Amino acid sequence: MGDLLQFTLTGVTIGSIYAIVALGFVTIYSVTKVINLAQGEFVMLGGLTMYSLTSAGVPYLLGFVITIIVVSILGWIMEYLLIRRAKGADPISLIILTIGTAIFIRGIASVVWGKDQLRVAPFTENTPVNIANATITPQAIWVVVIMLLVVFLLYILIDKTMVGKAFQASSVNPLAARLMGISPKRMSSLSFTLSAALGALAGLAIAPIMFPSYDMGTMLGIKGFSAAILGGLGSAPGAVIGGLLIGLLESLGAGYISSGMKDAITFSAILLILLIRPSGILGEKSVGKGGL
Amino acid sequence: MKLQGVQQTKWMGVLVFALAILVFPFIVTQSFYLTQATFAGIYAIIAIGLGLLMGYAGQISLGQAAFYGIGAYTTSVLTATMGWSPWVSLPIALLFPGLLAFIMGYTMSRLSGYYLAMATLALGIIVHTLLVEWRGVTKGASGFFGIPQLNLFGYTINQGIPYYYLVWFFVIIVLILSLNIVHSRVGRALRSIHDSEIASSSMGVNTSKYKMQIFILSAMFAGLAGWLFAHMSYSISPAAFTFDASILFLAMVVLGGSGSVWGALIGTLLIRMVGIVVHMLGEKFPFITSDFEHVIYGLILMLVVIFLPRGLFPTVADWFDALLTKRSSKKSMLKLAAKR
Repeated sequence: MGDLLQFTLTGVTIGSIYAIVALGFVTIYSVTKVINLAQGEFVMLGGLTMYSLTSAGVPYLLGFVITIIVVSILGWIMEYLLIRRAKGADPISLIILTIGTAIFIRGIASVVWGKDQLRVAPFTENTPVNIANATITPQAIWVVVIMLLVVFLLYILIDKTMVGKAFQASSVNPLAARLMGISPKRMSSLSFTLSAALGALAGLAIAPIMFPSYDMGTMLGIKGFSAAILGGLGSAPGAVIGGLLIGLLESLGAGYISSGMKDAITFSAILLILLIRPSGILGEKSVGKGGL
Repeated sequence: MKLQGVQQTKWMGVLVFALAILVFPFIVTQSFYLTQATFAGIYAIIAIGLGLLMGYAGQISLGQAAFYGIGAYTTSVLTATMGWSPWVSLPIALLFPGLLAFIMGYTMSRLSGYYLAMATLALGIIVHTLLVEWRGVTKGASGFFGIPQLNLFGYTINQGIPYYYLVWFFVIIVLILSLNIVHSRVGRALRSIHDSEIASSSMGVNTSKYKMQIFILSAMFAGLAGWLFAHMSYSISPAAFTFDASILFLAMVVLGGSGSVWGALIGTLLIRMVGIVVHMLGEKFPFITSDFEHVIYGLILMLVVIFLPRGLFPTVADWFDALLTKRSSKKSMLKLAAKR
């Protein structure tokens, strides 16, 4: 019983990170119909920027804020330099474009930060807490809290503000949105900035647990992408469910079957779910159809 | 009879290319370059298959390394563990990836777009994990040793010039096969699927059948490449069949141009050359590490998608065509003027 609880806690922690990354995918996809496979790289940049700042002696909270701002600006630059220019390209080209960006960012990161795993201090003192035979670190609780916070803030932003309405409008019908005086270009740029910020936040939250390195983004990006697909592309609640599901599958698979096989188990399960529900758990029938 | 707008295989091109391959080892004699050229041939086989899948069937595969790996490991297990002859294991090394592609294609036929990309990505990761973890058969992460060399009529095809010729012999076969497919009825059907699946299926093209066939073919090409790779190297390890490898194949196709068989081939050669140049620069300047390679691959992918959406080969080929037609039309104008 203790085992099960422990695996579940671990699964929810890692699943929360996947959920935040997946929300980044959804934010961009719902406005621009682009799948940004460099999303994991934002997470990596978040963790590594924080490492550089804290080791340079910047106070923790200030470093936190600066990291998010820096990575958001990078997201904005990416949209401005690349995505805007490739507008109208087919999904295959867009996938390739963002993969290229991811490889490029990763390569630069390996030159800047080297190939070692780096250590970032946790948010608060990190003495593990015991809950009914299972242990959980305060940082893991932080991760879950941040995920819930992100979900809440995104909900407020998208559903309760004017910007959010404009966001939804350009997602549903860009042309009509333009006629109403909303600039889809600006929304596209906003979506990249916002999801880069989400990535940075995920990176900050996970850094003390995972020890960031230049190549952490690939797998996180892939898992986040899987979570977004599994939940149904474009659905924010789906992304959270998908993320948590993948986190749980992974930690239960690693715990009960084999830690080496966890990725195979997770992705087999994803394939199986897609087989039953080709457009994801909460996806609409038409989503993603006729694209490629 | 030559129909307007129907493309035909330009045999001259194939012949010139074959000649270039034939004389290459006489001009470049260092074994390093020969090994690189042999590798380029192996990758070219995969890239041509992936190019058919992307450019003609309009599908993307983010897990092509899975089929490559299955081909390599199938033949390794059959020859080294079970003692088969490599020539007998060749059909099996083609069959297994093809079979997997069939199952994938069959079960995932309802998926499209990003969902299909996801499914192929998942396949790549599953296969890679199995290669690492199924230690009883694959020997795990440390790699599989003792793969026998190929024998032909009592003559061992060892690494170097003999293997170079063997690999490129297969490349030429794959090239001719692909060019013929592309320029046949099937190829035209495939291209119509790429342009508009709805339109072509309403014209009576069985789109899912063609997509499935080309997916299986691309998997079998990758299996063939795996077979060649395994018997060239004494040992193989799962590290050669990762997600990064799948992306590298993608880069080759995109750079060369996915709408063209030649494009995939040229793209492979160019990407390999980039690797060699970075390697050479790295020997001179210690700050240039192998990571630079990835920075450049990333840069290439970004620049190609933005500035050459069709890839290098079709764009350059069109320039030449435009140049030639301009010249010839000028000439004919002059002739007409002279007649008057």
